[in-house]
Order: sequence, then structure tokens, then C-alpha cells
Amino acid sequence: MSAPYLAFDRVTKTFGDLAVVSPPFDLTIARHEFVVFLGPSGCGKSTLLRMIGGLETPSSGEIRLAGAPVGPPDRRRGMVFQSYSSFPWLTVGGNVLFGMRYRDDLSSGEKRERADRYLKLVGLADFASAYPNRVSGGMRQRIAIARTLAAGSDVLLMDEPFGALDAQRRESLQVELRLIQKTDAKTVVFVTHDVEEAVFLADRIIVFSQRPARIVSEIDVSAIFGMERPLALRDEERFFHARTELLRMVRHTAGVDP
Amino acid sequence: MSDEAALTPVARSAASPERTVARAVSDPSDFKNLFVLRGRPSRQAEALVALLACILVIALWEAAARLKLTNPIFLPAPSTVAATFWQMATAGDLLYHSGVSTLRVWVAFLLSAVLAIPIGILMSSYRIVGAALEPIVDFIRYLPVPALVPLSIIWFGVGEETKIFLLWLGTFFQLVLLVADDMRRVPHEYVESALTLGARPRQVLSDVAFRAMLPNLVDSLRITLGWCWTYLIIAEIVAAQSGIGFVIWTARRYMKTPEVMAGVIAIGIIGLVTDQIIRAIHRRAFRYL
Repeated sequence: MSAPYLAFDRVTKTFGDLAVVSPPFDLTIARHEFVVFLGPSGCGKSTLLRMIGGLETPSSGEIRLAGAPVGPPDRRRGMVFQSYSSFPWLTVGGNVLFGMRYRDDLSSGEKRERADRYLKLVGLADFASAYPNRVSGGMRQRIAIARTLAAGSDVLLMDEPFGALDAQRRESLQVELRLIQKTDAKTVVFVTHDVEEAVFLADRIIVFSQRPARIVSEIDVSAIFGMERPLALRDEERFFHARTELLRMVRHTAGVDP
Repeated sequence: MSDEAALTPVARSAASPERTVARAVSDPSDFKNLFVLRGRPSRQAEALVALLACILVIALWEAAARLKLTNPIFLPAPSTVAATFWQMATAGDLLYHSGVSTLRVWVAFLLSAVLAIPIGILMSSYRIVGAALEPIVDFIRYLPVPALVPLSIIWFGVGEETKIFLLWLGTFFQLVLLVADDMRRVPHEYVESALTLGARPRQVLSDVAFRAMLPNLVDSLRITLGWCWTYLIIAEIVAAQSGIGFVIWTARRYMKTPEVMAGVIAIGIIGLVTDQIIRAIHRRAFRYL
């Protein structure tokens, strides 16, 4: 593993009496790594993600990005939420442009070029002038992704972004996301409770316990599948195998399997 | 994966029954859903029923008056009221009084809105503002406006200030809470998305939260404007020399019931027209909804 780019250093989080992250949590993530936080619902993995984004602050400990402690939210750490967060009053293109609204370093021409590029990347170029309520749920989620990418964040934080989508759309978005991450060289932290999604997307999977969040195990998926994740990977024997193995492990931590 | 046959598609007969042709608009079955629980009849059918109901009520009223079933001093015929209304509007000065009332309502309404919008937004955006203001607003909101008329006269005399103050009092404190609610209902994801896109808190408020609450805000303003008309009568029957409330109150003194009713109808018409105009603007401005 290369030098730590993103580091959790003895982080804990409590909401009132409720310990969400405890005992102190340590984890390092390399630059351009795709890390998936896998765990049962309500285990505290989303809270960890939100702490990277600056939307929550640790109760103790520190999170560092490129050596410096993270502060309030900013453009370097883009977030994509589970629910559709595209702005209904802006067109699809307007939403993507909004991602660059607070960038003074780009001229309006450059902004338009970038917006076009990311619209194309997520396959929404033909819908640029439509309003979000006219497009499907999957497209709305792609708007949010394109908007965050256009903003030019270094770290992409995704909180079950495909949770509300149907199976086919999920699969195609997963393939797209993996390609975008590699071509655009992003560091991604992706939260999910879907084992198959975790196996398909991740360079490394962090498996969490029930709340309070604790690491149960870490799986180096890239060592098994490499970096390329074509859709056909899903049909391969080794994919089924890895998925089944992981599923068993998750069941065990959730206390479902006897 | 092992049993291939399990996934073999079931053969379907090629001949599908012909689809029925789309039915004409005037199909009587447009009305059939009128009596189905939560059924959806056509818009035309609904409008027709609404119109018929209005005509029926007016016809019954007219009949009751013509057949002398009611005392005309208490309940004059609708045709008499309409004739009086027309006479007051053309020969009398009903239009002038309507104008005066409309002006008062709008001055008070705008005064309420200009203050309530920023305060309501701040109440929902910063806990400390909400904590400081909510108990006060909640208390004053429950004070009955008519009971404050004497106090208002002591403070402002019997001029325009009293009338504007009473209208303002009746609407401002309600509107503040409506605005605060509209802001509170802006999805948290919008705010957090904007923050992670690099917006500063003030920019989040102006560029995202305000924009997101705008359709609901316009609705809240529309409702508040309606309340203004309710309080107007209270304000105008107290030592007023003009306005629809004054017209109604003067007519009452001489038991001119048709004129009282004509005044009430004038308010109804102004209210309805204003409401429909704002609704139309709402539909045009917020097409994306």
C-alpha cells in the first residue's frame, strides 16, 4: 500500500449516550483507492463517511486528508447521497453546472465544456435541458454524480448511492462508476450493505460489525480480480465464489447464521 | 444455472386481442367514477358538477325569496343582491372603496411579508434565532385580533396606521411560522450537497435553500393574503370613513341587507381573482414541479 492519503486516527463518535464509533477507529486509505464500507444498516459506516465530508465532527481523534486535519465541508470532498439530491428547479445541465458555481478559477466557457464532458460521461448529454422530474430515478442519481465530479473533488464520498435503483440500472451504474473512478483518478469511499455491489466495485472492502462500528475484516479485492471490472465479471465463477464467501462472513457478524 | 429448462421462456400465443379504441371525450363513462370511492372522474365532469351545484343553491335561494318564504330584510333574493351590486359598482362608489381596501390589504401584507420572510428563514436556519423568537411569536399568534382593537386605537389613533397595524398583527406572526416551516422542509440533502460543492453557509441559504422553499413560500403568501381580507373588516368597522368594511357597516346601520351582501360579494370576488392570479403565476414559475 502506498502512502496514506486519507487517515482515521483514533476516531470515536457518540451522539448523546449512543456510541456510534467505538472503540477508537483507525484506517488509512491510499490515493486513488476505491474503498467500500460494508456493514449492516445503522452500524455507523455512514457516520464515518459523513465525518470525512465534514458533515459530522469526531467526538475524539482526527481525520486527515493529505496530511491535514479535515475541517468543515468543502469542494475537495464531494458527497453523493442515497436519496436523489439533484435540484428540481435546475435542468439536468443546470445541475451539473451548479457543481462548478463556486469555482472562480474556471471561466464560464470552461465550466460549460466541463459540464458537457461530465454529462456525456454519465450518459445524460441528450437530457441536458430536461428537468429532473422528467427523468428516471437512475438518471437523477447520475445527475448528482456528474455534479459532484464536475465540482472537481479529489475524494468521492458515496452513501448507498444506488440503493433506490432497480437491479439493471444499478449494474450499469456500477460499471460506469468504476470506469469514471479509474479514468478520472478519484479516491472513492463507498458505503453499502449490498455484498455483491461491494465485491464488484471495491479495491478493498472494510467489513463492519453491528453498531458501534468496528472493523471485522478487510478484503483486498484487487488482489483477486485486478483493476478492470467489466460487467462480464459478474458471470464468472470466482465472482460467485468471492461473493458467497463474503456473504457468509457478513451473516456471521450480523448473527444471522447459526 | 444447472437447470436450463427452468429459465426457458413460456411460449406465448401470437394473436393478441385487439386493443379497444380510445374512447371519445364525451363518453358518458367520464361520469361513472363520480360515485367511486377515490375515483377519478374527468375534469370536465367535475367542473360541470361544481357549476350545477352553484346554480342549484342560487336557484333554491331565489325561489325561496320569490315565494316569500323568507323576509327580504333578512334574506333578499340573489337577483336583488346582484342588481344592487351592479348599481353600487357603476353609479355608487363601491369601486373606490374596494380600491381603498385593496390598498390597505396590500400595504399590510407586504409589510408582513418583508419582515416575516427573513425572520422565518433565520428561525429555521439558526437554532438560536428560533429559540429566542418562537415562544414570543407563538404567544402573540394566539392573541385575538379583535381584542387588540382598543389597544391599537390608543397607540395609533383612528387613522390608517391602526388599520394597517391590525392587519399586520393578524398576519405577520402566522406568516413567520409558515415561512419557518417552509424552510425547515427543505431537504437536508440539498443543504449538504451545496456545502460539499463548496458553498458557504450564506450561499447555501440564498442559492439553494431559498430557491428550494420558493414554491411553498409563494403558497404561504397566498394563504396569508387571504387572511388579510378576513381582518380587514374588523379593521374597517372601527371608525373608518372608507373601504368595503365601512360600506358594509354603514349599510347595516340602515338595514340595507342587499348592500351588505353586495359588499361581502365584492370582497369574495377580489379574493377569488387575486388567489387565481397567484395560482397561475405559481404554475408558470414552477413548471418543474
